[in-house]
Amino acid sequence: MAEHVILFAGPMGAGKSTAIQSLSDIDVVRTEANNSERHIVDKATTTVALDYGEILIDGEEKVRLYGIPGQKRFDFMWGILKTRARGMVLLVNNDAPDPVAEMLYFIDEFRDLYDRGGVVVGISRSDLVDGPTLADFSDALERTNPDLVIPVFTVDPRERDQMVDVLLTLVVNIEMREALGATMAAAL
Amino acid sequence: MTIDANHVAEEPASVSVGFPVTVGWTHAAIAVYSVLRLNTPVNLTMLIEMHGPLLIDFRHHAFSWSTPLELFPVDAVHTNLETEPVGPDDPPYIELPGQDLDGLLWEMGLNSFGGAAAYWLPPNERYKLTRWPNITRHAHNLGQMKMMAALANTYASTTELAALAGVEESEAQRLINALSLMRIIWRSADAPAAPVVKETAAAKRQSLFARLRKRLGR
Repeated sequence: MAEHVILFAGPMGAGKSTAIQSLSDIDVVRTEANNSERHIVDKATTTVALDYGEILIDGEEKVRLYGIPGQKRFDFMWGILKTRARGMVLLVNNDAPDPVAEMLYFIDEFRDLYDRGGVVVGISRSDLVDGPTLADFSDALERTNPDLVIPVFTVDPRERDQMVDVLLTLVVNIEMREALGATMAAAL
Repeated sequence: MTIDANHVAEEPASVSVGFPVTVGWTHAAIAVYSVLRLNTPVNLTMLIEMHGPLLIDFRHHAFSWSTPLELFPVDAVHTNLETEPVGPDDPPYIELPGQDLDGLLWEMGLNSFGGAAAYWLPPNERYKLTRWPNITRHAHNLGQMKMMAALANTYASTTELAALAGVEESEAQRLINALSLMRIIWRSADAPAAPVVKETAAAKRQSLFARLRKRLGR
């Protein structure tokens, strides 16, 4: 069975578990524990190992959706998955103290995926605060790699339609980039 | 503010006069593009039959309209369009936050010029995205999504773009018009031709995007 791994990364409270639940065919497997950092993000529990969901295509192909813990002390989990991943949805909550810096931290951690165009950024909770604009996020990304135009959207992880848009954009962007790259390489 | 097309000249503070009654969005798009090029803050009012006044506050990149964008009237009858200069201390033209102007520009750009090039776009240019539009907030189809993925990764003319995404050239042109109105594309007369990607049946079968969109009901 063909498999594709898509990661959902981002700081605690950005909505990774909810986003996977919105897309998954199965009940999401969660590994949550009490949140000991409620002074940072006011939620009762947080992911400590992995969240897992999946989308089955025609019974013969599986898209595996892995949510990786947002707290940096669990970052040993990241390396295990990022080598297998085809792409990553990076969720950032706009009511974080410095959401642009949070985004750039994760971009740096997943630099290989990012540099091959395999990232979509979703900005959650943007309706709650007067935080940075999408242009602010895009400008910050452009400074890290001027040749890349990474999709940056506002998202509500609870809304399946929006998460489908995000996932399809990630996949079509990866495939278009691969096709254009292959054509250019063949022409050389 | 005067809202009758026959009496616009009586308002000395208004900038534009003599807007003819028009059907569709081409004239409105030209007016909006001109205002955006001015880089001088103005407010704009469009009167549209059966759809109430459409108020745009360019300073806050927001608009107010009783018609939801999901019901965007493609064949709207515009009876007047008027702009007013705005001073730095003037209050917002609409109750903020209003609606994001990008959503209106997206619909306006897609539904003007009848699939031909917007008047401000010279021929023989190629285009590339500067940033993606916020598509979780704009009604879009998968052809447009595919075209934007192409434009994010290469310069392309409308002909090349249509070929890359497997859509009609008029659809590619409509998208370019919209992205141009939103001011999120680079334009170049010197960029090299986009690579020709042949979408063979085998390539289509291998495409995860094609299978996933079907699976996800798109």
